Amino acid sequence: MASSLFVYVTYIRAPQQKVWDALTKPEHQKIYWFGGHQESSWKKGAEWKMFMPQHGLTDSGEILESDPPNRVVIKWRNEFRPNLKEEGYSRCVMELATEGELTKLMISHTIEKEHSQFVEAVSGGWPRILSSLQAYLETGRAHGDTRTVAEQAHK
Amino acid sequence: MTGTKFVYITYIRATPEKVFDALTQPEFTTRYWAGTVQKSDWKKGSALGVYTPDGRLWDSGEVLEIDRPRKLSMRWLNEGFPEMKKEGPTFITYELEQQGSVTKLTLTQASPLDDCKVIGAMSQGWPAVLAGLKTLLETGEAIAEFAKWPEGI
Repeated sequence: MASSLFVYVTYIRAPQQKVWDALTKPEHQKIYWFGGHQESSWKKGAEWKMFMPQHGLTDSGEILESDPPNRVVIKWRNEFRPNLKEEGYSRCVMELATEGELTKLMISHTIEKEHSQFVEAVSGGWPRILSSLQAYLETGRAHGDTRTVAEQAHK
Repeated sequence: MTGTKFVYITYIRATPEKVFDALTQPEFTTRYWAGTVQKSDWKKGSALGVYTPDGRLWDSGEVLEIDRPRKLSMRWLNEGFPEMKKEGPTFITYELEQQGSVTKLTLTQASPLDDCKVIGAMSQGWPAVLAGLKTLLETGEAIAEFAKWPEGI
């Protein structure tokens, strides 16, 4: 079946549990994720929702698989941009592995649609978010201007 | 024929000049890029050589376009593995753009070949190279593992 795929791999000098916590806990997300956060119990079958300060609910879905701190699969749909919502649910997989003093983090985002605008949008967002996450965990300081950059991107 | 292309974007809290120099100067590359050294006078049309820590030529190439600190395009030919050399050169481009306090770095590696093996192999390595570069520039401290040339190669 025709589909669109985005894959991103990065290495973060932090323990795997810390990377997992930063990916799943709102108090961390708000610092590096353009000011946004997610709400979920991160258990299989649980609801999953993402909120951004300037838009409210932006994305929602369900946890399809969960194996903390190694892997989570999210059924993920955009809720606030009609052209993206129309594309339906995507599948986001986050995989973490310890390699020495590093955590290897792999994020993939797929949708069963060719030339997906949703996958194009997340392809622009993930590198910013994960770069800011890496800076946050390694230096204690996220990329401060991720929020303004995100606002510009939505104009 | 459609070719093969790999694109990777990262954002680094450093000036474009600093990122550009870290991509090309041995005092940086030896600390995050498997201990390798790139030798070139970094002018358009100049030859480029990438050397292993024990001094073997690993890649050869040419500087196709250079505009520090915004853009660098190079032709790269792997010299280390005969089956990769056989494929011919790939084309590597760095584009740098300052966005507030961070530099957006876009790496593109392209080949006219479909299913290019060199890009298949290098696309596995780029995330570690560029994450290591980011860690070095943002923390001042390199990742020891990334400064080593792989054993047995």
